[in-house]
Formats: sequence, C-alpha cells, structure tokens
Amino acid sequence: QEEAQAIDQELFTEYKFSVDQLMELAGLSCATAIAKAYPPSSFTTSQPAVLVVCGPGNNGGDGLVCARHLKMFGYQPTVHYPKRPSKPLFEGLTTQCEKMDIPFLPEFPTEAAFIDELYGLVVDAIFGFSFKGAVREPFGSILGTLERITVPIASIDIPSGWDVEKGKADGLQPDMLISLTAPKKAAMHFAGRYHFLGGRFVPPALQEKYALNLPPYPDTDCVLQLT
Amino acid sequence: SHLPQAFPLPSLPRKAPTVLVVCGPAQNGAIGLVCARHLRIFDYEPTIFYPKRSPDPLYRDFTTQCEKMDIPFLSYLPTEVQLINDAYNAVVDAVLGAEAEVAEGREPCAAILATLKHIRIPIVSLDVPSGWDMESGSTGGISPDVLVSLAAPKECARRFLGRQHFVAGRFLPYDVQKKFELNPPEYPGTECVVAL
Repeated sequence: QEEAQAIDQELFTEYKFSVDQLMELAGLSCATAIAKAYPPSSFTTSQPAVLVVCGPGNNGGDGLVCARHLKMFGYQPTVHYPKRPSKPLFEGLTTQCEKMDIPFLPEFPTEAAFIDELYGLVVDAIFGFSFKGAVREPFGSILGTLERITVPIASIDIPSGWDVEKGKADGLQPDMLISLTAPKKAAMHFAGRYHFLGGRFVPPALQEKYALNLPPYPDTDCVLQLT
Repeated sequence: SHLPQAFPLPSLPRKAPTVLVVCGPAQNGAIGLVCARHLRIFDYEPTIFYPKRSPDPLYRDFTTQCEKMDIPFLSYLPTEVQLINDAYNAVVDAVLGAEAEVAEGREPCAAILATLKHIRIPIVSLDVPSGWDMESGSTGGISPDVLVSLAAPKECARRFLGRQHFVAGRFLPYDVQKKFELNPPEYPGTECVVAL
C-alpha cells in the first residue's frame, strides 16, 4: 500500500501530473477493459445497462470517468454517488456525466434481485488503494447488497472492502479486477475471470525505480489483459 | 495513438523510432507535448522543439512531465533540412491550431514553417496544418502527409491532400455533436482514433 502511495506522490510532485490527468487515463482504462471483457452484445438485459457505484474518494472519481466513457462506447450507465466531495474535480466529473444524460440514482436498490433485473454489470468504484479501517455507511449496506448479486462485478483497483494487502475471504468476489498502474498485493487473492492492468502512464524511469516489472502493453492499447 | 496507426514501429526507415515534435506557443503546442509523452510510452523516441513556452501552469506541467521522462528538448531547429531528414522518421506539426490567425506571421513560427516546408520526411499535423488559413487552406504552405483532426474536421481539411486523415478526440457528448451538426464518423469499438 505504501509503495502505491509513494508512486502516486512521485507522479504528482516530481512529474507534475495533475490528479485530473491521471484520473482521466485511469477511468478510460477501466471503461476499455470492461468493453473488452463484456462487449455490449454480450448483455442479456435489453440494453447494455451498467450500474456504477462511486465511493467518496478518488476511486469514485475513477468511476465517474469510467461511466462517461462507457456512455461514449455505447453502454447505458447509471451512477450511484451517495457521498460527494465538494471539490471542483468531482463536481466537474459529475456535471460531465449529468450533461451526457447519465442518470444518478438517489437511492441504492434495496434488494440484490432488483440489481440483477436491471443491470448486466456493476462497476465497483467505492474504495481504492488508500482504504483503511472500518467501512462507513452507506457503503457497508451497499457492499452487503453487492455481495448477494449474481451479475458480474468489475472492481476498480481493489475490490471494495478488501484489505489492500491481504484481501477479504468473505467479502466482495468480483468477476473482473482492473489494477491501476500496477497490481496491488490484494490482487493475489483475486479469484475472478478477468484481471486487467490499466493506467498506462507510468514513466519508464519510475517503473524501474520501483521494480514494477510490468509486462508490455500491446501497441497503443491503454489496457493489458493479465488473465 | 494515430501516429502508430500511420507509422507503425516496425515500418520506420531510421534505425531508432525517432520523431520530432514541433510545438507552438499555444494550445496546439500543448497538445503536441501530451502527444510526445504518449509516444514515449508507446516506445517511440520523441524529441521536442518548443521555442516559445506558454506561461500557462497546465502547459508548464506538461513540459515538466516530458522533461522528467527524458524527452530531449532541442535548443534550436536546424535550418539545414537534411539534418532533420536524416535524424527523424517523421515530424509532428503542433505549431499552430485552429485559433491562430495573425500568429503565423510572427517569429518563431514563421521561421519554423519555412523550414518545415522543405523537409522530405512525413509531417503529421495536429488539427490544422500550421500556417493554413482555417477556412480556405493554403497555397505554398506545408503539405502534411497525415492530418489528425481534433474532435471534428475543420473547414480547411477539405484541401488536405495527404495520405491519411484521422479524427481523434473521442469526447464530444452527443448533444454537442447534434447542436453543431458535426456528424463525426463512428469510432470503432473502444478506439480513440478513426481513419476517414
């Protein structure tokens, strides 16, 4: 976890990347990976409906970017964003989604069955690699419901609720994991079908410094399928 | 990502995948900086010529990102065109965009464009071939091999005679497309570039 935070810090302070830049590239990777694993034609719902659940931090921001690109790729995303930071970055991302007619659910569906009915996929953008400690409401209940759905879940960076290094055996079991920048230790416990790497922005010098040993991305793709 | 489509790495004539990215003082130049950084990630060897740097903090950060990624910045552009022809496989023209009108007559853009007119390696222009009049095109200006129109083709793109025309910048919401009657082509799958 500290290494991931150290890399992030260096990208912002030494390389002068803005959070906006990296979040945009990260969110785009997530949407691209999803489109590769779950193309619109593969949905059994009448429209390729996707529910994107966004948490209170940067992982939620990644989710908002992802939702917007999913819309551009022909999906019908719906966002649930119960706790919104009052920062221009997140307000801007929310507006971009709203102006693209992406609906925002005021309430999270109370029954897992409702989610299974309405959506072909759920994107888990609740907690990321900075997550520590106890899960606060409303996310505890949300995760409880998500643990009972049968449609696939695609988690951004870390399955929400998992310990960033050790995982969580009785927690969320996503079908897809999109590791951003590099896989975190928790990824070793990932048992789903699709593991993608995204966030193709790490300068070669940083990759070397932290001995990331990332396999090469295919030509100009912004995602790499690991499994 | 249009460059690898037009000039895939294995096809490049020079031994090293070198590309010269010439950046003007405004937004078009900043887009060039971002392009150079991604070219580096894609394993090309970009070099940047950015004589008149914008004071905009966002663009200054783009410059830092390139510098920290060991992308060299030339201190001057050789007027001897053979030096450019020999050192690089292609030139990315990010000098002037659609917003420039009077700027083209001013230094250093005028001198840069005069040099670029005579090079023999392919030029890839970002959005608008630099120095072309936005609407009517240009006689006697640079002749790019590849044009990458950003968001939607500009009026002068009709006069483009080069090998490949791409549209890139897949971010226009549908209502903006409709409002301005843009009719951009359909992007395939998750691609962010489409060949016209």
